[in-house]
Amino acid sequence: MRSDRWLGPVIALMASGWLVLAYMYIPGAQSEGEPGPRAFPIVLGVSLLGLGILMTVTAWANRRKAAMVTEKPVTRREATVVAGTFGVLMLYAFLMEKAGFLISTPIAILLMMFGILRMRNWLLMLLMAAGVTAVCWFLFVEVLGATMPYGSWLWLL
Amino acid sequence: MDALGQAFSLVLSYQVIFGIVLGTVVGLVFGAIPGLTYSMALALMLPFTFGMEPTAAVALLLGVYVGGMSGGSVSAILLGIPGTPSAAATVIDGYPMAMKGQASVALGGAVIAAVFGGLLSLLIMALLLEQVAAVAIRFGPVEIFALVLFGLSTICGLAERSMARGLVAGLLGLMLMIIGLDEIDGVARLTFGTVALQQGVNLLVAMIGLFAVPQVITTFIDYGHKETARIPGNVRTTMPSLRQLKDRFWLMVRCAILGTGIGAIPGTGGPIAAFLGYDHARRFSKQPDDFGKGELSGVVAPESAHNAVTGGAMIPLLSLGIPGDPATAVILGGMMIHGLQPGPMLFRTHLPVIYSIYLAIILAYIVTLVVQIWGIRVFVRVLRVPPHLLAVCIIVLSVLGSYAIRNSILDVYLMGIMGLLGYFLLRLHIPIAPVVLGLVLGETLETQYRTALILGEGSYQGFYESNFALFFFALIALTLGTQLWSSRRRGKKAAAS
Repeated sequence: MRSDRWLGPVIALMASGWLVLAYMYIPGAQSEGEPGPRAFPIVLGVSLLGLGILMTVTAWANRRKAAMVTEKPVTRREATVVAGTFGVLMLYAFLMEKAGFLISTPIAILLMMFGILRMRNWLLMLLMAAGVTAVCWFLFVEVLGATMPYGSWLWLL
Repeated sequence: MDALGQAFSLVLSYQVIFGIVLGTVVGLVFGAIPGLTYSMALALMLPFTFGMEPTAAVALLLGVYVGGMSGGSVSAILLGIPGTPSAAATVIDGYPMAMKGQASVALGGAVIAAVFGGLLSLLIMALLLEQVAAVAIRFGPVEIFALVLFGLSTICGLAERSMARGLVAGLLGLMLMIIGLDEIDGVARLTFGTVALQQGVNLLVAMIGLFAVPQVITTFIDYGHKETARIPGNVRTTMPSLRQLKDRFWLMVRCAILGTGIGAIPGTGGPIAAFLGYDHARRFSKQPDDFGKGELSGVVAPESAHNAVTGGAMIPLLSLGIPGDPATAVILGGMMIHGLQPGPMLFRTHLPVIYSIYLAIILAYIVTLVVQIWGIRVFVRVLRVPPHLLAVCIIVLSVLGSYAIRNSILDVYLMGIMGLLGYFLLRLHIPIAPVVLGLVLGETLETQYRTALILGEGSYQGFYESNFALFFFALIALTLGTQLWSSRRRGKKAAAS
C-alpha cells in the first residue's frame, strides 16, 4: 500500500517522541534489580521504533508493488464528517459539564442532524432531540440510578 | 444426598427464585448497556440483600454476575459496542453478522454458547473443584505473566492483513495503558500534572470510543450515498440451526474448558478467556479468512470461553476464599456479610449452601437463556431504525456510557479522542482488536512481571524454573511459529496467483 511509505516513518517518529517523554516525565527504578515505572514504557517505545523502522525498510523494498495497490482517497465530505463528529463530541462534553445533560444532549443531536447529516426535516429533528434525551434520562437516571451532570451556569457570569 | 435435598429446598423458595430472576435481569441490562458494568450492578444490588436470607442474597448476586457476563454480547452484536470488556472479542464477528442481516443468529448463537459454557464450567467446578484449586493456587506472578504473554500472542491472529500493523496496534494499546498511576510504585506516568488523568484510560471508555465512533463516522459518510449506505429493515429473527450448533459443539466444549481454567486463576478473567477462545476458533478453523467478516464460530467461541469463567472463578472463591476479579470480590463480600466465610471449612459446615450456590447458578443460566431468547425478537428491532438515526443515538449512548463509568467528564473527552484514533487506525488498515487486547492485558502483564522480579530480587530464575511458565512460553513460540509459517504460505500463494 502507498500509505506504507509514510506510515513507517510516522510510527518511528511517534515512538521517538514517546521515548523522549518517557525519559523526561517518568522516574526510573528506585533500587537496583527492580524494573522501575519507566522500564515498560521504554521497552514499548523501543519496540514501536523498531517496528516503524522495519515498516519503512519493507515499504521501500516493496515500493513498486505498493504503487500498484489503489487506496480509497480522502474526500472533502469524509474530512468534513470526521472533523464535524469529533467537534460535536468535544462540544457535547464541554456543554455537558457546563450546562448539564438535559441541555447538552438535544443540542448535540440537533447539531449532528443539521450540521453533519444535513437534514432539514425539523419535525423529525426536534422529535429525535426530545425523545432520545427523555428516554436516556429515564433509563440512566430514573431506572438505573446513574448520576448525570446537572451543569452550572455560574461560568457564564 | 441429604445435603443436596436441603439445597433444593433452599433454592426452590419464592425469595430465592425472585432473587435469581431479578438479579439475572438486572445483570443483563447492566451488561447490555455500554458504560454500565455488572460489577457496578453487583455493588448497587449488595445493599438490597442485607434484609434477605443468606441463600437468597447470594442467589441474587450470582444472578447479576451470570446475567451481566452474557449481557455484554447484545450491544456488541447489535451496535458494535461491547457492553463489557469480555464482549470485545464478540464484536469482531458479531457486528459483521448483524450487518449481513444475521443479528438474530449471532444473538442466539451467543446466548446458547454462553449458557453452554457457563453450565459446563459449573460441572467442571463441581467435579474437579479440589484438583483445579490445587493447580490454580500454584499460579504466582511468573505463571500469570507467562499466561498473559500467551494471551498477547493472539495479536498475531487478530492482525488481519499485516502482522506489522497488528503489532503496532497491540503496542498502541499497551502504551495507552501506561498513562495514569503506576500500580506498583504509585508514580504518575505521562499525566502531565493532570490529576484527573491519574486514574488512567478506562478500558470501557477506550472500547466505546474505538468501536462506536469510527462506525458512526462511517455511517455519517455513507448517508446519502445509495451505493454504500446500509438499508434498514432487513431483519429476520432466525435462530442458529441445529446443524450450525452441532458443527461447533466441540469448539464450544474446548472454549468452555479453556475459560474454566482461566477463570480459576485469580487476576486473569473474562477478556483473556474471550480473546484466547476467539484465537483458538480462528486458528483451528478450515476457513480462517472468514473470521472478522461475520463467522458464527467467532461469536460462539469467545462467548463460551468468557462465560465459562463464571464457573472457574467460583473455584478459588469457594474453595480458598480468593476472589479473581472485582465482581467476585463483591460476591465474596456479600457472602461474608451473610455469615458465609468461603474456604475449605465452608464445605464442611455449610455443604447445603454450596450445593444451593451450584443450583442458583444453573437457574440463573436458565433465566438468562429464556430472557435472551425471548428478547431477541425485541432486540433486533433496533436494526430497523434507519442507520443514520441509530448512529446519532449511538453517539448519545456512548457519551452517557463513558460518563457513567466514573462520573468523569474527562472520560467523555477521552472517548472522543479514542474514537478519532480508532477511525484513523481503520483508515490506515490497522486493526482495532489488538489495541483493545493491549489495553486489557497490559496492566496485568506489567504488574505481574515487575512483581515477579521484585520477589526474585531481580533474578530471572523463576521464569525458567516454573514448569507452567515454560509451558506457556512454548505455546507462545508455537503460536508465533505457526503464524509466521501460515503468513509465508499465504504470501507464496498470493504471489503465485
